[in-house]
Amino acid sequence: MSCICILGEISIMAAQNFLWSFTKNCFTFGLIGLTISDRYASIVPVRGSSMSPTFNLTTDSFMGSLSDDYVLVEKFCLQKYKFSHGDVIVFCSPSNHKEKHVKRIIGLPGDWIGTPMTNDVMKVPNGHCWVEGDNPSSSLDSRSFGPIPLGLIKGRVTHILWPPQRVRHIERKNHENILSPS
Amino acid sequence: MAAQNFLWSFTKNCFTFGLIGLTISDRYASIVPVRGSSMSPTFNLTTDSFMGSLSDDYVLVEKFCLQKYKFSHGDVIVFCSPSNHKEKHVKRIIGLPGDWIGTPMTNDVMKVPNGHCWVEGDNPSSSLDSRSFGPIPLGLIKGRVTHILWPPQRVRHIERKNHENILSPS
Repeated sequence: MSCICILGEISIMAAQNFLWSFTKNCFTFGLIGLTISDRYASIVPVRGSSMSPTFNLTTDSFMGSLSDDYVLVEKFCLQKYKFSHGDVIVFCSPSNHKEKHVKRIIGLPGDWIGTPMTNDVMKVPNGHCWVEGDNPSSSLDSRSFGPIPLGLIKGRVTHILWPPQRVRHIERKNHENILSPS
Repeated sequence: MAAQNFLWSFTKNCFTFGLIGLTISDRYASIVPVRGSSMSPTFNLTTDSFMGSLSDDYVLVEKFCLQKYKFSHGDVIVFCSPSNHKEKHVKRIIGLPGDWIGTPMTNDVMKVPNGHCWVEGDNPSSSLDSRSFGPIPLGLIKGRVTHILWPPQRVRHIERKNHENILSPS
């Protein structure tokens, strides 16, 4: 009788130990995942067609959010402060800080941007960059809200991860109508 | 073997607590020194250049305001400089989106655009702020200063202070 009681106690203690160490491990891995997602890389869906055909090639509104591309966003560029022409970046919208947008960097500080429609030439100020979408007809970008401060950039898109048939690396693509000092 | 176990579990604990500290500092609150005199007398009352960096005020910066998106007039905030994204500045929010800011020197009146705010230092004669670089996007804000923590004789809560020369719709 006492053997059964002792065995019962031992198995309850073993179960409690297991539960406690399982909880601790979940917590630690959750924290590691959160730190990685904040500081190094995360996976986000891309909405809208302003970056067609690079992202979201099909814009069928019925299948809309089911066919979003999921992309890998790396944040190492923020710690080394290295941005290049043609990088696709994620940034906080200057007109609504709760929203994030995805566009391509066309101009860096010191570049001269030409707008074909108005025949204006504009110099990108220090600490700012000029961004445009790959699909100019359906893109709200620097042609509307002007150059954005580099401090608004939240990460750089390197790969499409989903759907599987569209998995690939995102290449830098340079633009024709800028003059760059470098 | 007992020593190895102890060392291993000590390392694991250091790692976990380091990670917790990092997450708290990134997402909830951190302590930073304030340089310069653009916010005198609120921060850095003495500007003795010999004692310069030894007498910096250390302040508590909370980041809960970023998650609730709540900024108010008179908040002292930390933000990335719009002209150099590697630097951070500390100023007070004078105007929120939709406010009209008057500049006494030029007799201009300016409306703060959507998603932007107007910041100024408490020491206007020595402050590089929105009067030079214009309104800044709210997305550049990195946190809100709530308390001075060091030196001990200056420990106190930072109050909101409202400004005279703005017209606000609210």
